[in-house]
Amino acid sequence: MIEYEHSDEIKMLRQTVREFVNKEIRPIAREIDEEERVPLDVIKKAGELGLLAVPFPEKYGGLELGITGYCVLMEELQRGDASIATIIGAHTQLCAMSIHLGGNEAQKDKYLRGLNRGTLIGAWALTEPNAGSDAAHISTTAELHGDEWVINGQKMWITNGSFADVIVVHAVTDKSKGARGGITAFIVEKDFPGFNVGKIEDKMGLRASHTASLYFEDMRVPAANVLGGVGHGFPLAMKTLDIGRCGLGGGAVGGAKEAFELSRQYAITRHQFGRPIAEFQAIQFKLAEMAVKIYTMEQIVYDTARKVDAGKNATLESSIVKLYCSEMASEVIDEAIQIHGGMGFSRELPLERMYRDARVTRIFEGTNEIQKSVIASELLKQVGYRIHRHEGVYPTPKHAPHS
Amino acid sequence: MHIVVCMKQVPRDNSVKINPDLSINADGIEKIINLFDEYAIEEGIIWNEKHGGKLTVLSMGADEWVEQMRRALAMGATDSLLLKDPAFATLDTIAAAKVVAAAIRKLGDVDLILTGRNSTDDESGAFAPALARILGWPQLTYVGKVIDVNPGSKTITAERHLETVVETVTAPLPAVVSVIKDINNPRYPSLLKIKKVAKVEPPVWTAADLGVSGLVPTVTVTQRVPPPPRPSGETIDGPDAATKVKKLVDKLLENQII
Repeated sequence: MIEYEHSDEIKMLRQTVREFVNKEIRPIAREIDEEERVPLDVIKKAGELGLLAVPFPEKYGGLELGITGYCVLMEELQRGDASIATIIGAHTQLCAMSIHLGGNEAQKDKYLRGLNRGTLIGAWALTEPNAGSDAAHISTTAELHGDEWVINGQKMWITNGSFADVIVVHAVTDKSKGARGGITAFIVEKDFPGFNVGKIEDKMGLRASHTASLYFEDMRVPAANVLGGVGHGFPLAMKTLDIGRCGLGGGAVGGAKEAFELSRQYAITRHQFGRPIAEFQAIQFKLAEMAVKIYTMEQIVYDTARKVDAGKNATLESSIVKLYCSEMASEVIDEAIQIHGGMGFSRELPLERMYRDARVTRIFEGTNEIQKSVIASELLKQVGYRIHRHEGVYPTPKHAPHS
Repeated sequence: MHIVVCMKQVPRDNSVKINPDLSINADGIEKIINLFDEYAIEEGIIWNEKHGGKLTVLSMGADEWVEQMRRALAMGATDSLLLKDPAFATLDTIAAAKVVAAAIRKLGDVDLILTGRNSTDDESGAFAPALARILGWPQLTYVGKVIDVNPGSKTITAERHLETVVETVTAPLPAVVSVIKDINNPRYPSLLKIKKVAKVEPPVWTAADLGVSGLVPTVTVTQRVPPPPRPSGETIDGPDAATKVKKLVDKLLENQII
């Protein structure tokens, strides 16, 4: 494959993560998927090594290797196991990132430092049963009682939610203002009274990464744990997701590269009709098409990462990265299975797991359809046009078609 | 105490290609620290943490070898030194040991040299013995456990893990030690040190700095042929499994294998 030219420090990061993945992750990837087991021991080891601290400032124990470093981390992790990449991704690019972006000195000292070392595990809670893509319309509420906020409501699809020590929770603090000043982010500790974990989803893929429902019943949160100021929760969430999308692209590159390498090896060792299947044009074309996709994915991921690291706004680019890389990784893994024939369908090889794991990347952290809306909206904004979002009340059918 | 670890960079051995003349083609192959040298680095760090002083990683090679030296620094080495000269490019083991010996003498204060028992590319396994011989220092090869390094009495006590026996040996320092796999569990390079070590440019000593000249390889490869293919095995036939097993056991007994 074509090696992307990174700086010496990023190359060192890559080699270390690769060794960690080979030694600690590959040997257990199949087993944790089958057992639906979160490998917390591996996550702790990753924390001790510094793998949970890649993009954050040295001042708080971070490696300060930027989003570029973070994307390389995700790439290498996803080559070994997408569940572990997802656990580390939700911890780093969502929970720790939002505290990095919105937190004050005291909050960073108390939480970001521990998240960087892995002594604290993080989760990030925005989605609710009735607010997925429509994240601005969450209904969890927070009311100020003296010097405490009292939070009530429910969150859903929260990665790491069942075992995280620190959860960034978004709640409505002023319904009249909606997303523009009415939503606030809170740093919640799992031991706060009123915090409860509900059921863990039974998912198609990412089975070693647990996704939970969270319930808040008069959960009391100190006023000092408001993140980024009262009313600033929604823009902070969007900014956090924006940066995180680049990391998803990095992970997708890793999954695609792994599928390609397996396919290339298989093509030269598998014989049919008296010759390696690499001799057949049908296979050659598949390999070529996979490589074209991987090369373009990698270019846009690291070009966007470079812009984010330079402090530039890259909302448009990040959405393109998320959309394109999640689609391309799915296609590359699908073709890899085709090259492997029956073996690709077998659980003996990691491809079937990778195929299941890849599917959700087109859904989570903003569905690909939402990404298209973001991309279009950004493009139209460039020429001074703003899309009008009509809000209205639509009746719910009395008899839903499938009930 | 000053410990020196001699390390080299090698291609990741499970991915090299073989040229038509059977030499190794490592173009485009990921470079790593020689497996056995990584154990030597870890052992150096362990004793450096115990006794303090310097732990220098020393390599003889091209500029690109610095990448792996930086990894050793991120693991915990305190210093690095690169021996680089066009004259060093085609040396055999003895000549390489002469150059390294000159560097060790120039450093002057070295108490202990650690290295891997062999490199996974050249496979000579003769570097450590040659270096010890040239320096006139004791050589402890195939070390599977270092029991003690004592700066007071200036001695080292270690176990040599040989094929049929584990030998406990003591030698005065300075000494040359070559280590085997699994002597320890090498740590990962500290990512927290990455930014710092990525900028380190090791001092470079050339042939002129070391005062070495007239280096010619004493051994040159003149031909490479593959080993003769192994004869194919014997297949045991029979009407059923029980008969086949009986035939097999008879055969093994007949040849005194069991």
